[in-house]
Amino acid sequence: MEAEVIKNRISDVLISILEHKNFEMHDELTARDVDGWDSLSHMMIITKIEEEFSIRFKLRDLNKLKNMGSLVSVIQSKI
Amino acid sequence: MNLIFDIQKSIEDNYDQNAFCISNTYYTYKDFAKVISGIRKVIQTSIKETESNVGLITNDDIQTYASIIALWLEGKAYVPLNPEFPVERNNMVIKQAEISTILDSSIDKVFVEYNTAQTKDSTSSEIDLAPVKVSNDDLGYIFFTSGTTGTPKGVPITFGNLSGFIDAFWKLNYTITNTDRCLQMFELTFDLSVVSYLAPILKGACIYTIPKDEIKYSYIFELMEDYELTFALMVPSILHYLRSYFDEIDCPAMKFSLFCGEALPLDVTEEWSKCVPNATIANVYGPTECTIFCTDYTYKRGGENKTHSGVLTIGKDMKNTTTIIVDEENNEVNIGESGELCLSGAQLTPGYWKNEEKNKEVFFYKEYNGEKVRFYRTGDLCNVDDDGDILYLGRVDFQAKIQGFRVELSEIEFHAKAVLDKINVVAIAFNNKIQNTEIGLVLESAVFETKQLVDDLKLKLPQYMIPTQIKFVDSFPLNTNGKTDRKELKKLFS
Repeated sequence: MEAEVIKNRISDVLISILEHKNFEMHDELTARDVDGWDSLSHMMIITKIEEEFSIRFKLRDLNKLKNMGSLVSVIQSKI
Repeated sequence: MNLIFDIQKSIEDNYDQNAFCISNTYYTYKDFAKVISGIRKVIQTSIKETESNVGLITNDDIQTYASIIALWLEGKAYVPLNPEFPVERNNMVIKQAEISTILDSSIDKVFVEYNTAQTKDSTSSEIDLAPVKVSNDDLGYIFFTSGTTGTPKGVPITFGNLSGFIDAFWKLNYTITNTDRCLQMFELTFDLSVVSYLAPILKGACIYTIPKDEIKYSYIFELMEDYELTFALMVPSILHYLRSYFDEIDCPAMKFSLFCGEALPLDVTEEWSKCVPNATIANVYGPTECTIFCTDYTYKRGGENKTHSGVLTIGKDMKNTTTIIVDEENNEVNIGESGELCLSGAQLTPGYWKNEEKNKEVFFYKEYNGEKVRFYRTGDLCNVDDDGDILYLGRVDFQAKIQGFRVELSEIEFHAKAVLDKINVVAIAFNNKIQNTEIGLVLESAVFETKQLVDDLKLKLPQYMIPTQIKFVDSFPLNTNGKTDRKELKKLFS
């Protein structure tokens, strides 16, 4: 799947959980840059992304998700 | 003061051992001693002898831990200030604790308006760990916890309290030696951090910390596996996060896996015991007021474990603590009857910092075994069985535990009401899908956009106290006593 397509789908997940779209999708985007993306919502976002792409992250994958770019490449490696 | 001498001796005896592993960088006890010595010089030159309480910015670095030891060697108390907490809350703490100097290891000072002593480059080749004269009554730290009227309350802990705790902790036989690798997962504003660094330091073991920008539960897992940690004290909410990944976790090196700060469910503990097949698992309990924890229960693998509503017993009081369970008139109840758990002993704080009103409310004297003894009412509803094991039943008041942090629901209501114009609010603690506690807020009002409200709350309250869900109702339901029916409102959240 193309990175752009993946990003759009992640963006939809973020909007549905955080209930706002005050962020711009780019590779360097981190949780810190996005309002409401804290440790509590992180868990929900991860679960929703797993459902969206029918994948399952390993615990070790979670620490690799430093920014949007790395999230996209971990997803790509699983689908 | 033996505790401080013990710290000095242990550091000196273990110069070649690793003291800390912070963001994958090791520091030996010699490195640690040098930084402590450097910071002592900073303290001696920039802090007056009469200043007993010193603010400490809680960064995740060697300087911050060294600052604690340096302050103790100088006979001073530290008051942790989390730079991520709202400025207003930190200001309240600084004012209440009468802090005039703050030790800060940040590159840029967190507080420009206070006397800040920067410690980022402090190190000294001349090691000096000899303590000044410190007495049992001198304070080691003051931690601030959520207060009902919007003002956090300070819990001062003396070196005598700390010594009482450490003495009782060793008696549990959860042995640590200088070959052990220990987890320190707590914010330094949370008193479970104290045992997580102090016990390893006293034995020359290595302490593994969590960088602030990492996701805690997955980072803990990597530390446990990659560094083969042998000792870990955690809050049970970490288990709830990890639970769906338990099949990926195998940590045979773990020797002691302790839990504290929240109710520990038996079913999760059983599943966890397979992830740490060789570990002794224990449930410890205690409020900040009674120095870190003061009761203990060792989980029995493959045996019968006592529970109430699926929650593991908190066990028996530790060596230096006396527990009683009382009714509303402070009379002891019979075995098996429920009442409020009260604590007494060497670990008990001398009382809230400059808060006579609160002290009168929760501390009382009572004849016990022929002596007049001071007790603290924990607010925890408990009963005790024939074996003396204490079962935790719930809270007697409106407190909640969020990831181990104690939260007064009324403090959230207080701040929400202050920013809303005459709207009635109720804060509710509810369990989410993975059984972790979250805060919900119910507003007695027509629906409106709540972003402003949440933004305002963020200026007053730490992140863990910010409601994650907000609901609206036309009017609050009442229970049979004519009070707001919180149980009914709780049903709005899932």
